[in-house]
Amino acid sequence: MDLKYVGKDIPRVDAYEKVTGTTKYMSDLSFDGMLWGKVLRSIHPHALIKSIDTSKAKALPGVEAVVTWEDVPGLNGFGIAIQDQPVLCKDKVRYAGDAVAAVAAVSKEIAEEAALLIEVEYEVLPVVDDPIRAIEPDSPKVHESGNILLHTEIRKGDIDKGFDEADLIIENTYYASRQEHAFLETEDGIALIEEDGTLTVYAGSHYPHRDQLQLSRCLNMPVEKIRVVSSPVGGAFGGKDELTIQPIMALLALKTGKPVKMVMPREESIISYWKRHPMIMIYRTGVKRDGTLVANDVKVYADTGAYASLGGPILNLALESSCGLYRIPHVHIDGYSVYTNNGISGAFRGFGVPQVTFAMESQMDIIAEKLGLDPIEFRRKNILKKGEVAPIGHHITTDVESEAVLDAMEGSRLWRERERYRGTDKNRPWIKRGVGLALSWQGMGLGVGLPDFGDAVIEMDPDGGFIVRVGCVEIGQGAMTVYAQVAAEALRFPIERIRVVIGDTRNAPDAGPTTASRAAYVGGKAIFLAAEEMNEKIKGYASGMLSVSPDEIEIDDGSAYVKTAKDKRVSYEEISSYAIERGGLPVAEGHFDLPTADKAIEGAFGLPHHIYSCCGQIAAVEVNTLTGQARVTDGAVVVDAGTVINQGGLEGQSEGGFVMGTGYALTEDLIIENGVVKTPNFSTYIIPTSKDMPSSIETIPVTNYESTGPFGAKGIGEIGMVPTAPAVTNAIYDAADIRVFKIPATGERIYELLKQKKGENK
Amino acid sequence: MKVTYIINGKKQEFDISPGEILLDLLRDNGYMEVKGDCYEGTCGACTVLINNVPYASCTTLAAGVDEAEITTVKGLGDINNPHPVQQAFAKFGAVQCGYCTPGEILSAYALLLKDPDPGEEDIKRALDGNLCRCSGYMQQIEAVKIAAKMMREAGDNGRV
Ligand code: FES
Ligand code: FES
Repeated sequence: MDLKYVGKDIPRVDAYEKVTGTTKYMSDLSFDGMLWGKVLRSIHPHALIKSIDTSKAKALPGVEAVVTWEDVPGLNGFGIAIQDQPVLCKDKVRYAGDAVAAVAAVSKEIAEEAALLIEVEYEVLPVVDDPIRAIEPDSPKVHESGNILLHTEIRKGDIDKGFDEADLIIENTYYASRQEHAFLETEDGIALIEEDGTLTVYAGSHYPHRDQLQLSRCLNMPVEKIRVVSSPVGGAFGGKDELTIQPIMALLALKTGKPVKMVMPREESIISYWKRHPMIMIYRTGVKRDGTLVANDVKVYADTGAYASLGGPILNLALESSCGLYRIPHVHIDGYSVYTNNGISGAFRGFGVPQVTFAMESQMDIIAEKLGLDPIEFRRKNILKKGEVAPIGHHITTDVESEAVLDAMEGSRLWRERERYRGTDKNRPWIKRGVGLALSWQGMGLGVGLPDFGDAVIEMDPDGGFIVRVGCVEIGQGAMTVYAQVAAEALRFPIERIRVVIGDTRNAPDAGPTTASRAAYVGGKAIFLAAEEMNEKIKGYASGMLSVSPDEIEIDDGSAYVKTAKDKRVSYEEISSYAIERGGLPVAEGHFDLPTADKAIEGAFGLPHHIYSCCGQIAAVEVNTLTGQARVTDGAVVVDAGTVINQGGLEGQSEGGFVMGTGYALTEDLIIENGVVKTPNFSTYIIPTSKDMPSSIETIPVTNYESTGPFGAKGIGEIGMVPTAPAVTNAIYDAADIRVFKIPATGERIYELLKQKKGENK
Repeated sequence: MKVTYIINGKKQEFDISPGEILLDLLRDNGYMEVKGDCYEGTCGACTVLINNVPYASCTTLAAGVDEAEITTVKGLGDINNPHPVQQAFAKFGAVQCGYCTPGEILSAYALLLKDPDPGEEDIKRALDGNLCRCSGYMQQIEAVKIAAKMMREAGDNGRV
């Protein structure tokens, strides 16, 4: 097919608004009579609430409402999977940052002052801060039900037999840090009561329709009475998947009857909201002398913090990918997601997979070196292909371009020329340079047993253009542009005259969450299906207007004509007038169910997935052996993307993912000690800046047509940061002969490792 | 107390309290193109130009810059008439979520006023105070180079 928009270099549809400062994010809205909200949060990581006295706060002039748990009209609990997190705590706080009360006042300053006047009496409890210790029976309990949120155990083959067959067994323990999303726009928004008594909540998030559902539970209000607008978002990366400030703003708006705005200052955002799960991962891997993997025993402890949110599904997705994309006959996987008083962990780009990929791909690097095998050859020998049995025991039935990704990695400039990037720097002999790689795979979509669908609506507007409505959100990934491209292509209609409406429960149909790399794939496919229906309707009208049968009509570029007599044509403007005369403009709907696996893995909810994406990365690093500082100088990203809808968008995702991954590998560590956050700002929590940017990042798409996706596309939103950390730490090993078992590999840690190695060599 | 600024070429007078932060003052008066919520001078989203020098407006006292010329991203151009830096950012993929974009564009513009032909390191240094979590900075740096070229070729230093 000749494509006009898909795969073409189309600039983002929202770019000019963004560069000229006209885009309105949720916190840029304001309304007459607006109040400011402020949350009072617990400073104790674990304590009983003995009493809450709001009288002084209420008496402060300018205060219009103070709310506590008593003001929650419905379920005082939220959570995507399990609703165990109170909107406002009643008798217990479980992390430093837990919300206890909130104030609405006429100014920000008064709201802040009033929050400090609320008196809460606590009885401090012992802090649970170590996930391994937390599962021991005598540990203090974060929740009455115990500290294990989820335990998943998966066996395949006979693990003991596997290790008997092995010639080499490598056992190591890996630690992955708690990562902060660090989106530039913090949690913010406005809630207000409309004239008809309905509630509108403007707050950036991944899924307005689910926010609406969760709010309706907490507020005891029918969903139809709640409208959620959640796009555009100034960055999210998973951190706005779960509710944040929405229910508190809503309570304040309901109580006062006025619009209430809240903006989280950076420190409050970092302390109070979601993080990537820290994980402790104990790996034992057995391999034959010829490089055939035979056994993998994996134990994972994930620190989910104080509340469930998506801790369970994140653990399971991690376990699914924990053995890498390799054929391993004997597998034992044992994972725990554990409650602690360490803040709250939740969804974050990669959804548990970056952690286990760090562990598994380090194991692979260690084994390749011990056996004297080339790291790509070793992976190729064990790589899992379509039709084979995955480590968790199901057959891979869809294309995962594992071999093509390895081939492309091998063919990348960085790998071919790697000798140029290795060895001691001639002019600065204290600089050691090295190159490393890693491979990853990740399930796409929500997994088996979960409703996973998308709806889209296309309407013709009175001047013959189109409005495309789909419920996903624009979090910066370029969804709006991809939707416009898919619609333009499928409708064969100029992209400039297509308007995309997203992220609003009133004006766009439910298309599921903008997570799990599914927005472009599911939303795009629903639009494609709606467009096909629209095209049929248009042919119907045109056939009436031109007095021929509908199958004699062809459409292109905003007009419909008779195939055999091209000058017999009608424009879409004419069609729209014709349609209006006959009862109304055409509307078409598309519904797409994401294909899921036909058999579930027992004891592992949501597993397996059905469609997978795969990504391989190469990193070149420099290690300063005097300071311990490591720097990524160059990178290559190979991604199994299906059809590339927008090359610029793909590069943006892959470069952004790679750079976020280098931060995860080298500097990003949200430290919590005794339940208290030690790095609550950007002077202590260090993310990459323009100066840390590598000199080159080569993006190489592997473009196999994914038959279920829109024009053959697959999701790529997350995978770009998944293998970065092990590619970087494997490169550090290549450079300086030190093995990193704990990320981030900060200067201090590398320095320590270098010192240890010197000691050993003496 | 009263302060007077020239914001995007227009003279404006404000009645402020002595401790008022420039970022709050601007946003309360509708300059929503100035972003930012770290309030500690570390993210760069709140960047404005004060007499053509980039500052974090969240750590700038409104009273301290009385009579200053303040430029926000809207002062450079609008949708119908975007500045070359804005055009280059839009065209060459330098915008994702866009929350860092107004600040970045202002830092880039201030650099190009001083140096019409900056090297890669100069650009990196100029953007160092503007965090972006979505991109890998690569497309921004490319965009600044392209904007510089557009401005040189137009024989115009791009000053608004
Ligand atoms: S808000 Fe000013 S630097 Fe972040
Ligand atoms: S584009 Fe999102 S922070 Fe820069």
